[in-house]
Amino acid sequence: MSQTLAIKTDSLSKRFGSVRALDSVSFELPSDSFLSVFGPNGAGKSTLLRILATLARPTSGSAQLFGLNLKEDADSLRSQIGVLSHRSMLFPDLTAYENLLFFGRLYGLESPEYRVNEMLDLVEMTGRKHDAVRGFSRGMTQRVAIARALLHDPRLLLLDEPYSGLDPGAISLLDELLEQIRPGRTFIMVSHDLGHGFSLASHIMVLSRGRLVAFESCQGLNQQQFYDLYHQSIEIGK
Amino acid sequence: MTVEPDQDKQKQIASAVKVKRPSTASQFVTLFARDIRQEMRTREMLSSMGFYALLVLLVLGVALAQADSSFQITSISGGLLWVMIVFTSLLGLNRSFTSEREDGGLEGVLLVPLDRSIIFLAKMAANLVFLLVVEMIACPLFFFFFMSQNAASASIALVVMPLLIGSIGIAAVGTLLATITSGARGRDVLLAMLFIPVIFPLLYAVVSATSVTIANTEALSSAFISSLAMAAGYDVIMLSVSWLLYDFVITD
Repeated sequence: MSQTLAIKTDSLSKRFGSVRALDSVSFELPSDSFLSVFGPNGAGKSTLLRILATLARPTSGSAQLFGLNLKEDADSLRSQIGVLSHRSMLFPDLTAYENLLFFGRLYGLESPEYRVNEMLDLVEMTGRKHDAVRGFSRGMTQRVAIARALLHDPRLLLLDEPYSGLDPGAISLLDELLEQIRPGRTFIMVSHDLGHGFSLASHIMVLSRGRLVAFESCQGLNQQQFYDLYHQSIEIGK
Repeated sequence: MTVEPDQDKQKQIASAVKVKRPSTASQFVTLFARDIRQEMRTREMLSSMGFYALLVLLVLGVALAQADSSFQITSISGGLLWVMIVFTSLLGLNRSFTSEREDGGLEGVLLVPLDRSIIFLAKMAANLVFLLVVEMIACPLFFFFFMSQNAASASIALVVMPLLIGSIGIAAVGTLLATITSGARGRDVLLAMLFIPVIFPLLYAVVSATSVTIANTEALSSAFISSLAMAAGYDVIMLSVSWLLYDFVITD
């Protein structure tokens, strides 16, 4: 296979006191893939994403992103990672423009003002760019959050339940945006929506009680087979 | 349903994004400016701290009004001044991470490739500025209400030095502890329980230096200098410890 690896983890584990949030998770994900991660509450999905985003340290095990070690090269990797979560990661009292400019300057974009306007245009928020984020609807806030996540043109996008709390209009806009930004990028999305998550995915992962119980390519897998696989995996995980 | 990718939009997303890692100083300025801008917009910390300082002054005024006429306030004025400053700062520190925690803004910052210690320095500098602004209003009022009837020493202007050194220490330790407690349940009580014991050596030194300055007629007495040196030493140690520990503290 000529496709290069975007992510390789080896026995990745995370403990919070006596609780094993992630238990020896190993997988390999090719570049430009879309991995949907499923599992019941407390399965370790968000913990896995937080570790890959360099927001949490693994207790043991290792991970490589684009050939770089997650622990040792965390600083270099951060410029290649974008995170979109159900939380906007914005400052509610600042305007959309001020928020994006703040992050643009921290990332060191060469012309942050130009890039910020470009991103606001992309998410169709130019008309509200000087309004405080606090006054935005959930869908509008999520659009600005998408602009924040894409500001530095990351190669890896980590999506932690990005559809949570969105109305149908905002969901289809997010779908459209994900489709637009998909080429040349690798995605990992945590989702509770089996149908939606599967429809976007090139690979699926099922976690249960912190353990990886299924990791498959979606090639040759239809939705019903996936549902069966999911439920069987969860049973095994119990 | 699949959506046909729009070629123009795809170009827009990755339109020659040039990134050059900014200097530490420029990242510090960006973080510090955001804190100041946020506060100027909401005035959440300044108004609550300022109001609290005025309430403390009022309570002290009522208490001292009951005192015997022979009571010499200069002997305890250093302690009273620092009671006001410590509890006012505690109120501000409790609110210092509100905007960062509200919708995950802090995580957004942590995703940026930057030295985590810069986040500490910028937040500490902003907390120090807010504390000094409140002190600039509350301390003259303190002296006006409680010291104007008493014969204070000629060297009273030197009180600025323990105030400045004490405020730096409070901002450094407070920022570190506020980071630790900001995600915890019952963080207000937890911060107070950690903060007061940790700053006790600093508090002891600055209260001594302030009391000596107010009561003593001899400018730059040895007691003043030794107290100030102890407070400055505490600041250096705690700033270094906070700087070194911040990455560990802020990452899960």
